[in-house]
Amino acid sequence: MSFLTSDHAPWAVLKFGGTSVATAPRWRTIADLARARVEAGFRTVVVVSAVSGLTNRLQSLIDRDLSTAELTAETEAIRAQHLQLIAELGLSPPAAPLGWLDRLAALAQQAPQRRRDFRWQAELLSMGELISSSLGAAYLAATGLRCGWLDARQWLKAEPRPNQSDWARWLSVSCATKGDPARVSELAAQADCFVAPGFMGSDADGATCILGRGGSDTSAAYLGALLGAERVEIWTDVAGMFSADPRQVPKARLLSRIDYAEAQEIATTGGKVLHPRCIGPVREAGVPMWIKDTQRPELDGTVIGDEVARDVLSVKAISSRRGIMLVSMETVGMWQQVGFLADVFAQFKKHGLSVDMIGSSETNVTISLDPTENLVNSNVLEALCADLAGVCRVKVIGPCTAISLVGRGIRSLLGKLGPVWNVFGAMPIHLISQSSNDLNLTFVVDEARADGLVPRIHEALVKGGALRADDRRVFGPSWSELYRSAPPVRPEWWRARHADLLRLAEERSPRYVYHRDTIRERAAELRAIAAVDRWFYATKANAHPAVLRTIVEAGFDLECVSPGEIDHARAACPDARLLFTPNLARREDYLRVADSGALLTIERLDSFAELAAELPGRDVSLRIDLGSGHGHHDKVRTGGAKSKFGIGVDQLGEAARLARDHGLRIAVLHAHLGSGILDAAHFGRVYQELLALAEQVPSVRALNIGGGFGIAAHPDDSALDLARVGELLATIKQAHPHYELWMEPGRYLVAEAGVLLARVNAIKQKYGRSFVGLDAGMHNLLRPALYDAHHPILNLTRLDEPDAIRADIVGPICESSDVLGGERELPATAPGDVFLIAQAGAYGAVMASNYNRRAAADEVLL
Amino acid sequence: MNPIEHPRAAQTFHFVRADYDAATARAALVYRFDDGPELVETIRFAEAALAIPEGREAAFAAALRLLHLIAGISYYKAAVPERIAVAGVPLDAAFAHLLDDIYLHGLGEFAHRNGLDLRGRIRFPHDAHAAAAAPRLGLPRRTLVPIGGGKDSLVTVELLRAAREPMTATWVGRSPLIAACVERSGLPALNIDRQISPLLFEMNRHGAWNGHIPVTAINSAILVCAAVLHGFDAIAFSNERSASSANLVHDGFAVNHQWSKGIDFERAFRTHVATRVAADLDYFSALRPLSELAVTRLFAPLAQYHDVFSSCNRNFRILGDQPAERWCGHCPKCHFVFLALSPFLPKTRLVAIFGRNLLDDGALAADFDALLEVGAHKPFECVGEGRESRAALAALAERAEWREDALVARFRERILPMLEGRDLDLAALTTADGPHFLPPRLARIFDALR
Repeated sequence: MSFLTSDHAPWAVLKFGGTSVATAPRWRTIADLARARVEAGFRTVVVVSAVSGLTNRLQSLIDRDLSTAELTAETEAIRAQHLQLIAELGLSPPAAPLGWLDRLAALAQQAPQRRRDFRWQAELLSMGELISSSLGAAYLAATGLRCGWLDARQWLKAEPRPNQSDWARWLSVSCATKGDPARVSELAAQADCFVAPGFMGSDADGATCILGRGGSDTSAAYLGALLGAERVEIWTDVAGMFSADPRQVPKARLLSRIDYAEAQEIATTGGKVLHPRCIGPVREAGVPMWIKDTQRPELDGTVIGDEVARDVLSVKAISSRRGIMLVSMETVGMWQQVGFLADVFAQFKKHGLSVDMIGSSETNVTISLDPTENLVNSNVLEALCADLAGVCRVKVIGPCTAISLVGRGIRSLLGKLGPVWNVFGAMPIHLISQSSNDLNLTFVVDEARADGLVPRIHEALVKGGALRADDRRVFGPSWSELYRSAPPVRPEWWRARHADLLRLAEERSPRYVYHRDTIRERAAELRAIAAVDRWFYATKANAHPAVLRTIVEAGFDLECVSPGEIDHARAACPDARLLFTPNLARREDYLRVADSGALLTIERLDSFAELAAELPGRDVSLRIDLGSGHGHHDKVRTGGAKSKFGIGVDQLGEAARLARDHGLRIAVLHAHLGSGILDAAHFGRVYQELLALAEQVPSVRALNIGGGFGIAAHPDDSALDLARVGELLATIKQAHPHYELWMEPGRYLVAEAGVLLARVNAIKQKYGRSFVGLDAGMHNLLRPALYDAHHPILNLTRLDEPDAIRADIVGPICESSDVLGGERELPATAPGDVFLIAQAGAYGAVMASNYNRRAAADEVLL
Repeated sequence: MNPIEHPRAAQTFHFVRADYDAATARAALVYRFDDGPELVETIRFAEAALAIPEGREAAFAAALRLLHLIAGISYYKAAVPERIAVAGVPLDAAFAHLLDDIYLHGLGEFAHRNGLDLRGRIRFPHDAHAAAAAPRLGLPRRTLVPIGGGKDSLVTVELLRAAREPMTATWVGRSPLIAACVERSGLPALNIDRQISPLLFEMNRHGAWNGHIPVTAINSAILVCAAVLHGFDAIAFSNERSASSANLVHDGFAVNHQWSKGIDFERAFRTHVATRVAADLDYFSALRPLSELAVTRLFAPLAQYHDVFSSCNRNFRILGDQPAERWCGHCPKCHFVFLALSPFLPKTRLVAIFGRNLLDDGALAADFDALLEVGAHKPFECVGEGRESRAALAALAERAEWREDALVARFRERILPMLEGRDLDLAALTTADGPHFLPPRLARIFDALR
């Protein structure tokens, strides 16, 4: 057999994790990739982890006190798993992995005597990679590659560090990165390709030690540095680093290219793809590191190196870390007190704690500690604080989440962070840290409040222009573009009715047009959520009589918020059942509505006494403010201390007592926390919170969790997953079937079914900005002015023409907020063109006014 | 009048019959109000067919009758009718009185919240015959351990494991959270399914009485059936000492939210099982000599369960990766377990379990005051005694990493001075002490605590 690679072939190091080495098909992928590198002229080292789950299993042999028989059972199970894999690979059992399996069995039997011996632990833990790498070398050789096994322990030599604990000396070692060219040449002479175990090295005496966290990635980085490789490739389950954790932010962008320092910063501040330890060795040696997806090798992935576009001034990523603890140290005597910081930090050193961030003022120093093994599992914090109490007043704050914005030149980007400050709102920020290396800006907030923060900040960074997602030199496609099959696009009904709509607009403008079939379709989608026993339609969203009738025919009852709405609903749908949900209504309103047979919702404590005499024994619904609002804008959140709706959770006991004393029965608990909610989990949370409260009020038989189903309005929004909502509700319902579940959506049913048609009055330019003036404005559609709501807007006359101008689309009202859509891309537009403002079926006509003595739009149902 | 549509007008509650179908391993428990439709509850004891083992037929019949009579409480309480009628062989006096007690005390909180007084109303009919004593069945030596998803049963598992006791973990219902705890324990598992009659929900919709029922009593009876069918000679619950104390006394009647977890129920129930079902079937609580604090102290080092367990009563046993999904942070259970674990865990680990620091939230002051039993009465939840909470907070008041937290500082400044002379010794509260029914083979499981 001849060498495929030349004597001076460049080296490539490829690393594969536990799932990649666990099955025969995945091993075939490794062999294909290794062969491709060899054929491209690289001498190739494949670094592998242990078969997935095995390292944890070995760790449990250390942690659990197992009998000899149990130890034998464990090691035999591991042997069987590998023999099966060997058989699936079509190999006759090769000697090397069998030898390591025997060694493992022998070592495991020593557990009762040597469980606490770190040297023994290190050797035991190394067995997984020794088995997988020797097995892999045999397999790659069997595929025809000239492949050998590389004993990584001969290359990765542990370097002793000062103050190193015995544990770290065996189980968390660092290694030298300077290679020996002569040894490299010697190795090169042996084969085209090698398979090496990750995760391990050896000490000066040649005894096995473990790299610890980030193990095999770090091994690949070390080998890349030691061999002077041309590239190190980390093959994993995702094609690179992203601008945020894709599990939290599906819209996160792939980072095509970043430099070592930024990669290190992202990894250190919480990025999950790479362990921060593995950047150092490749950075020192100047070896570029690639991150590639094993399942999708065609994707470009991320390359980390020196060659990056330094002039792209942008936040590159947002990362977060949980479990951060803050130590706040306060002293009145600190002002100009010499040596206070030295005294304080001496205590941290004494207890072996590494301080991460620091914030200080004249009388306070606050530092952050990462949740290290030591901090979580020992009493070190207790001991530290006891010592600190001698020099200052100490308070421990946590758990906190640190949210970091990472990117070279972050200091010059502060002006673009306005939208980010808005995301934090009134949330207390315990600490802000801006590192002097100009790479990151970090905020520390309560972990319990950090839920959902990262996606919102990511969006604010993109919208504010601090994260230049459009710059292709740095950013690639989004994770959802790469990995999510696109959701089926629901064709907008009005595209098919283009001609009808133009004709309607010619007749009269502005006018609202509603599409009955779309309403029916939305109603059916909701009715498909089987867990919900009763549906109400919030009539305030669109009270057109034909719309109401359509929805009632689809199986909905009606929810009304005023006596006027009740009368209107009765007139339109005489047989519909009604729910009355007013806000701070008078007693007279309740009594009037009570005659209509509507179920009354009480939402202030006085109502019980006010209604008792006239309505004895009556069932009522009780609206509760669960104390936290959700929704697309502050003005549509209807829960929280500032909200005027409902009674407080702390008033529930009082309400139950009042109801009993006054002979009213609280049959329904109701909470509605806001509108435009796109997060499926929200509905489950409200349901569970109401369930908890219902247990305190025995008369309750139904829970009304409100509505608020959001509609994806902005191009970046992902639609609410109704199927997921249904599953969540069904799971909870199954555990608590004795409460009926009610919901009361409004906007979801009608928003997309309605459009506002308008015509262009005039167009003008000023200071380089263009304005398209319509005959419809905020008097017809208030949502953009009231809530900053986004409505898609199209030139219906020129639907198929390409975009040519960028303009603000405004109405005729003398208010500067009369903007229906800001900075929209439009085809070349002329006066008289018909415009379509989409998603206008909800809170459109119902909110209209005749402000400026401008006429209302009429309403047409198709 | 149809009692389903007019539940509060019902006159008589009938225990109709209880059957077992070996082919489906299902028991059907049948009840009726007046001459209304039958309410059928089903309990499935195995995934596949399961015959009653030979020689245990009489024991199983006695166990099933016990279950039928106890599980009826869910339905009885919907109407609380004047009369109770039991079909079949008449009850003897001792059995009837056991049931009277279980219904009266088990519905104590229900009655209190609904403003009812059930004293004298619950009378199980009986005659004067004397029941024969049950024989030994030769049940295999192994223990059935019910898992609740909280800390207590996991402590039992580890105490019994250390004593090399053969065990099977069991639970009733489909809680994924409990399933996750069982899986983490590594024990063989027995899941039992229980389906309540849908007509009960229909009654609730028509204004039936509703509220707390003694679910531990029902589960105990279910497990007695399971033990006879599957062959276990012991059932080890995990009820601790403080479960026996009342939440409040109202009009001369002691109301205990967790009466069926108390020692009075345990004594009466185990006696009935041993004398009427099988002489060699032992029902007991493994944690009876322990305070809540002692249990949390034993639980603290069991790190393998920290990210799966939850004692929160409001998470509805829905599994979640995030602490906030397992711990609501608002209920007395969350507050108490946080407090009780705090002296025994590093602060960093404790706040990681809950995802927040409940003792640094000033808004919870009144809730923690209720746990301390200063002013308010003990909450209607399974929480420890006031002195346990007081001792735990007093211990934190001494600890530099806790003492500045809002509620610890408040305790130090406002409450501690009022407690002068009260016993605040944590160590004294974490010893094993008091009456219990642990079998001799498990007598030494608390040696470490003595």
